[in-house]
Amino acid sequence: MMGRATQLLLPEGLAAAAVADALAAELPIVTQRAHTIDRTFWDTFDGRLHDAGLALVAAGGRLVLADAATSAEQAAGELPRGPARLFAGGLPAGPLRDRLAPLIEMRALTPAARVRSRFLPLNVLDDVGKIVVRLRVEEPVAVFGARNAPLPSRLHVTGVLGYDRQFERVGAQLERALGLVAPARPVADDAVAADGGRVGGTSSKLRVRLESGDRADAAAVAIARRLLDVIEVNLPGTLDDVDSEFLHDLRVAVRRSRALQRELAGVFPPEPLRVFRGGFRELQAITGPTRDLDVQLLEFDELAARLPDGGDGAVAVAPLRRLLEEHLRGARATMVRELRAARTRALLDNWSAILDGLVDSDPGGRADAPRPVADVAGERIAAVHRRMVRMGRKIDDGSPAEALHDLRKKGKELRYLLEFFASLYPPEVIKPMVSSLKGLQDVLGRFQDREVQADRLRSLGDEVAALEGGAPALMAMGVLVQQLAADQAAARAEFEETFSAFSAREQRALVKQTFA
Amino acid sequence: MTVVAAYNIKGGVGKTSVSVNLAWLAADSGARVLLWDLDPQGAATYLLRIKPKVKGGGRRLVHGKSDPAALLKGTDHERLDLLPADFSYRNMDLALDATKRPTRRLARVLAPFAGEYDYVFLDCPPAISLASESVFAAAGVLLVPLIPSPLSLRTFEQLRRFVADEVPKPPRILAFFSMTDGRRRLHQDVIDELSGSDGVLRTAIPSASDVERMAVERRVLADFAPHGRAGRAYAELWEELREHIE
Repeated sequence: MMGRATQLLLPEGLAAAAVADALAAELPIVTQRAHTIDRTFWDTFDGRLHDAGLALVAAGGRLVLADAATSAEQAAGELPRGPARLFAGGLPAGPLRDRLAPLIEMRALTPAARVRSRFLPLNVLDDVGKIVVRLRVEEPVAVFGARNAPLPSRLHVTGVLGYDRQFERVGAQLERALGLVAPARPVADDAVAADGGRVGGTSSKLRVRLESGDRADAAAVAIARRLLDVIEVNLPGTLDDVDSEFLHDLRVAVRRSRALQRELAGVFPPEPLRVFRGGFRELQAITGPTRDLDVQLLEFDELAARLPDGGDGAVAVAPLRRLLEEHLRGARATMVRELRAARTRALLDNWSAILDGLVDSDPGGRADAPRPVADVAGERIAAVHRRMVRMGRKIDDGSPAEALHDLRKKGKELRYLLEFFASLYPPEVIKPMVSSLKGLQDVLGRFQDREVQADRLRSLGDEVAALEGGAPALMAMGVLVQQLAADQAAARAEFEETFSAFSAREQRALVKQTFA
Repeated sequence: MTVVAAYNIKGGVGKTSVSVNLAWLAADSGARVLLWDLDPQGAATYLLRIKPKVKGGGRRLVHGKSDPAALLKGTDHERLDLLPADFSYRNMDLALDATKRPTRRLARVLAPFAGEYDYVFLDCPPAISLASESVFAAAGVLLVPLIPSPLSLRTFEQLRRFVADEVPKPPRILAFFSMTDGRRRLHQDVIDELSGSDGVLRTAIPSASDVERMAVERRVLADFAPHGRAGRAYAELWEELREHIE
């Protein structure tokens, strides 16, 4: 088991040998032979391991998951040879995969930083010559291809189990004698920053802070600019098919942009807006088939596991998986071609240009532009909420599935508005509202997803039947379609209760009071 | 977590030496290892330069009143920890006798470490007692050092019969020849006859001055004489044992 551990930053220009001499004057230490280690730090694009305070380090053929601040090892395994990206499913079974899988989910791990460090171990001994504290001077260099950048040196202080007093004493001596302080961030972050990268990965979260009195058009620009950034940063990973989440995040940002264009139409000049709405609708459409197939394959194992004969069921539907993978390759090739086309680049560049000049542009046809954003946002949130209540009330047992789908779409619109303008309202109002909306959306989502899944299975029936092993696969698909229909019916039965909670008198009063 | 107990009714046959050296070699191979020095003489603890002291003593430990994790000491190998010896272990039988199901007590002390360590080595005191029975219940492998002599072999047979007859879930018993002297005809004859036979490992540990020097150096062979005869033999023994375990 690990003892306690900490790191201290060494003064600039202080060589390892000088540190050893300075420490030897203070502590009974023995110096060991220095060695150099090349490490690659892996993380997901959105820095999920970084967010969890962890570092995944590849060195010497091993992959070690460690605490980012102390380097304390949490799990380790063999580093698979070769791949430039790793998925949880591609790691050998064991504690490392078990620990990583829930953290990274469907995301790929890719190298975030490469660091070459020279370590000089210095062990602190007790009166019988036993190691009671381990010290290591680290002189790291960030490696970017052929180019290197020296990083600040650090001293690692690692306690030995059962020798806590000595650990504390050494730590205090180091602070007192050498004035050492803890580094602001782990060495991998230093390396990412030295390369001009984003420390902690690239988030697709909205994170826009607005003030009530901001001009509505300025607020719309802030939101749309952030959404455009998300689209741009996720585009390369989408084109290279690093993992399915790039396309997911890109599509969410496109959908949010469309909601913004629709709900805040009054801040944009009408004619260019009409063109951009068409462009973004098309962007959504060209990425749709690939995303649908991504989802089907991501959910495939879960779906197959529902077959009554468990493991054998997965074997039976194997031809279906192969077919979906083939369809995905085709859909992806089409999508990549469309995304690389000049008109996609022009759409994004022109939208960026419109946003740059919006606040100073002609106010004609932009009646909402100069109004305080809180007024415009409040009106829109209240209106969409009212509309949802009206739509939901009309739904009864005889209503077609489309009525529920339309309500779900409106619900997404409301969700996006609440996210755009969350910073303008007290969290105690927004949170319960989002929560009751989420409850409703979960039911509506389940209702629609099951229908979509069942439709997809039905639509693939003829193709699957024609494949080798197609007959058992077709029978298994029939069972799945039945199960999905039962799930859909269950979701529909829950609708009334969740809609009642969403449209309760108190909720409506709260919406009116806060937004209207 | 595999529990390997170095055990023999007789003393001075190389139990401590094999426990400490194999625990170190196992840690060197990348495993996380715990060594529990159950011998009140505390020789393994001494070799690792650690004070033979367990807060609260052996009685509280086997009665479940001490947290064993709080009693661990890190060694000079980053992946090897020690649960030290304590002189109170001389009364281990009495302490165990005062508990319900005394033969399960040592296994219960080790249970919380299941996710923390890959191997636990037990350095057992020479005796056959209640404490030994508790060791048999806790261990997956009983590693028995044998001096190659007819009397040792007789004792080994007695042990095998006892474990087979009296232990509900008997551990695997693996013996190896220890302190062998190639110049002694009797040693060589016994080794030739039994080495590699059922339950007897091929690797023999020679009687060597390096092993005695461990007590002077207070270090394991892998640390100060890895390429000597004894150092190489322990490395081979570890590899052979590992093959059997895995």
